[in-house]
Amino acid sequence: MKYHELPQPDQIETRVKEDAMGAYFMMFATSAIGIPLPLLNLVAAIIYYYVNRSKGKFVQFHTLQSLYSQIPVTLLNSGLVAWTIVNFVGDLNFTSFYWGYLVMVATANLVYFIFSIVGAVKARKGVFYYFLFFGKVAYHQVYQIRPERDSATLRNRPPGR
Amino acid sequence: MQRSILRDLLVLLGVFGLIWLAFSLFSYPEDPQLLSIEKEERLGEAYVDLILLNPMFREFENRQVDSAIRVIGDRLEGGLHDSEYNYRFVVFDSEMINAFTVPGGNILISTGLIGFCDTPEELASVMAHEMGHVEERHVLSRLVKELGIEILTSGDQYVIGEVTGLLTSTSFDRKQEEEADLFAAHLLEESAIEPRTLATLFRKLEEEMDNELMKHFEIISTHPNFRFRIREALSFKPAEDFEAKPIELDWEEIRGEL
Ligand SMILES: [Zn+2]
Repeated sequence: MKYHELPQPDQIETRVKEDAMGAYFMMFATSAIGIPLPLLNLVAAIIYYYVNRSKGKFVQFHTLQSLYSQIPVTLLNSGLVAWTIVNFVGDLNFTSFYWGYLVMVATANLVYFIFSIVGAVKARKGVFYYFLFFGKVAYHQVYQIRPERDSATLRNRPPGR
Repeated sequence: MQRSILRDLLVLLGVFGLIWLAFSLFSYPEDPQLLSIEKEERLGEAYVDLILLNPMFREFENRQVDSAIRVIGDRLEGGLHDSEYNYRFVVFDSEMINAFTVPGGNILISTGLIGFCDTPEELASVMAHEMGHVEERHVLSRLVKELGIEILTSGDQYVIGEVTGLLTSTSFDRKQEEEADLFAAHLLEESAIEPRTLATLFRKLEEEMDNELMKHFEIISTHPNFRFRIREALSFKPAEDFEAKPIELDWEEIRGEL
């Protein structure tokens, strides 16, 4: 599998760098609404991705990495909120599995937060920073050279010799 | 590339799965506050019903004794300003000198204890001490610590039976006893009963220390450090304007009913 060559920091415009950094902060903002309404927050994040798609692969990569890493965190958070409400409404016990889950969710949020900050700072410098798993997925999706686009099936070709 | 993505995913799932598992298995000091009062009361009812089925704790039904206990109980409850519990005092027929607390505000008192008390105020001070254990949720804390909330609230008949067995032999630690004593002194004062009656009661209990009939009485079971408790009870200073109002009961007549 082939990938597009990555741009070096000095080849990326400042505005692009700023947009890429903005993706991480945007995801923070949407994840706040995500606690009560997880779907809405993902919809907002996806819209943000499509709006910024045209800004080039560098922005796309950071937006996707941020979007993808936000999905599991959001789901975990909603799970926690739901579990807590069910316990209170049903007057159920807060079992040790609940507390274990709580610790796990807190860890996930902390890790997400730290990585996003680092990601944002690096993006501003025009540097690629790969999250475990999500970074590779985003890279693969954005920089993969799609054969149907880049070789035989191209419709527009230069004039023949 | 795909393989490396998959490997990352497994690492991620593994790490977070392990965190969940590890912190679930790690035993938390469970907080009795996590058990609501309503649930505690429901549990307590089931326990009391079972305890009263035991021939050693058969309910003593006598209108005069019941109404006397009611009078004392009402006086004490009047002295409580904000309690979430609905107290229930049950007299059981036993020559043992005994009183104990069951979760949910249930206090069981033996006929032997009523006979042992020379005044209704002495009985009131035992009841106030037991109410201290209720308000401070001592019984519940102990059960939660020993069994965990999970087992405690399982609703399984066998478990309830076993818990009931534990309840009738409840003993507290020194700190809990001192808390209950202090609570009792304040409550007695608020209820216009001489708070230092506690000291009188402890002195009488101390004299009877070796009495076989008292061997299950929680007040003395763990730490018979009576001199200390007598001193603490005597050093309790009621407010300047404190005035004891006698409990209007013909105590000799009530004891005659036993
Ligand atoms: Zn006690």
